[in-house]
Amino acid sequence: MDLSIMIPELLLALPLTLAITFTAMIAGFVLALITTTFRVRRTPVVSQFADLYVSYARSVPVVLQLFVAFYGLPLVVDLFDVEDFVSPNVAAMVGLSLYHGGYLSEVLRPAYLAVERGQHDAADSLGYTFRQKILRVVGPQAVHIALPGYGNAIIYLIHNVALVMYIGAADVMATAHLVMERDYNQYQFETYLVLAAIYSLLCLVAWLVVRFFEMRNSKFALTATPAKVTMMASV
Amino acid sequence: MFDSEVLLPDLWDILGAVPVTLTMALAIFVLSTIVGSLFAMVEYRRVPVLRELVVAYKVAFKGVPMVIVIFLAYYGLPPALQFLASLIGIEFNGHATPNWVTLIVALTACVSAFQAEVVKGALNSFDTGQADAAYSLGYKRSQLFRRVMLPQVIVAAIPDLANSFMVIMKALSLGFAIEVVDIFAQSQLTAALNFYYLEAFLIAVVIYMVIAYIVTHGADRVEAALRART
Repeated sequence: MDLSIMIPELLLALPLTLAITFTAMIAGFVLALITTTFRVRRTPVVSQFADLYVSYARSVPVVLQLFVAFYGLPLVVDLFDVEDFVSPNVAAMVGLSLYHGGYLSEVLRPAYLAVERGQHDAADSLGYTFRQKILRVVGPQAVHIALPGYGNAIIYLIHNVALVMYIGAADVMATAHLVMERDYNQYQFETYLVLAAIYSLLCLVAWLVVRFFEMRNSKFALTATPAKVTMMASV
Repeated sequence: MFDSEVLLPDLWDILGAVPVTLTMALAIFVLSTIVGSLFAMVEYRRVPVLRELVVAYKVAFKGVPMVIVIFLAYYGLPPALQFLASLIGIEFNGHATPNWVTLIVALTACVSAFQAEVVKGALNSFDTGQADAAYSLGYKRSQLFRRVMLPQVIVAAIPDLANSFMVIMKALSLGFAIEVVDIFAQSQLTAALNFYYLEAFLIAVVIYMVIAYIVTHGADRVEAALRART
């Protein structure tokens, strides 16, 4: 086994892993904002569907969600009469976005509710619309409360990107399998150790970025209530 | 494309894997809670050297995806077991270790790191004034732990424990990579026989959601019942 050959080869597949991660991050965030808005406003019917979606994202294994996206998307695409464009990469992005959106909604909603009740009341009594209330009063405070949970969500997202190889996306894990097979499967343990190091580094970087924002944001916090973060993995 | 006729036979097929999955999840849950509690006690009591080791363990197992840990255990555990057995002079074929044992060991190792956090959070929620009160009443350390601390800590930990049970259930789905058959793997096997993939997976989704619903609501009930007494 030659690390100087293997590591560059694995890193060649990193752009795809990162592309899936960032797509899921952005799309998931937008989804989470929409879902959370419906849930906290208790819009009838829609909020029940939002609840169902969140419990789907949180209680079904990510592998299964990926497979559902992979086999379900072509049906959805078919409904809209569009040419089938679903590749494993697209399915991975969609599946992980759905997962991340649901998971993140359960981070944002408690953060919204954790902002002191009086702040909500004050904004309401001053005649703020929901949008104004979110943008000017509750949002800035909720950001500070949500950040630790958001950091966790990002780390679990990075972990779960390792699963996209099961639906056939050629990410770092899949490349590692190719590398292992080329060496007649002699160095499987070592290769997985290298993978573990790569994913740990990715998580470390993500954690440092979130930590930077936490530090920067802490001076804007009015109340010193630390948010309760459930420290539990998510697969 | 979507065929509703296969749903019922598929459902019976996939339901067959539920007891196995629940049993494995329960085993991992119990083991990881024990290990995690030990870790949490080490941190709570601030045992010198061990504490740093526990922190290092937690950092290592939180940073690495569970799939990779499972694969590492799959390739690393049998030789390691064999080596350990040969040290004490036992002839033991490590490669005969069943895959489900490997999966249980790997997931226990992963989940313990998180379980330690859950138990630590529950321990920290304990009000130290009560400890002072118990000591002033002449309680011994063991009595304090058993009669004052434990009942409160367990109730405080129930929601998080229910959550971690669900996480273990979901993590077992990664076992199909090393040929352990749980709900997800069974749905894949069922689908492979008749090629109705989406149908089988949707049934698995429903089963997972129903189990999650039962677990969380059961935990809420238990918590409410116990809180009323304390």
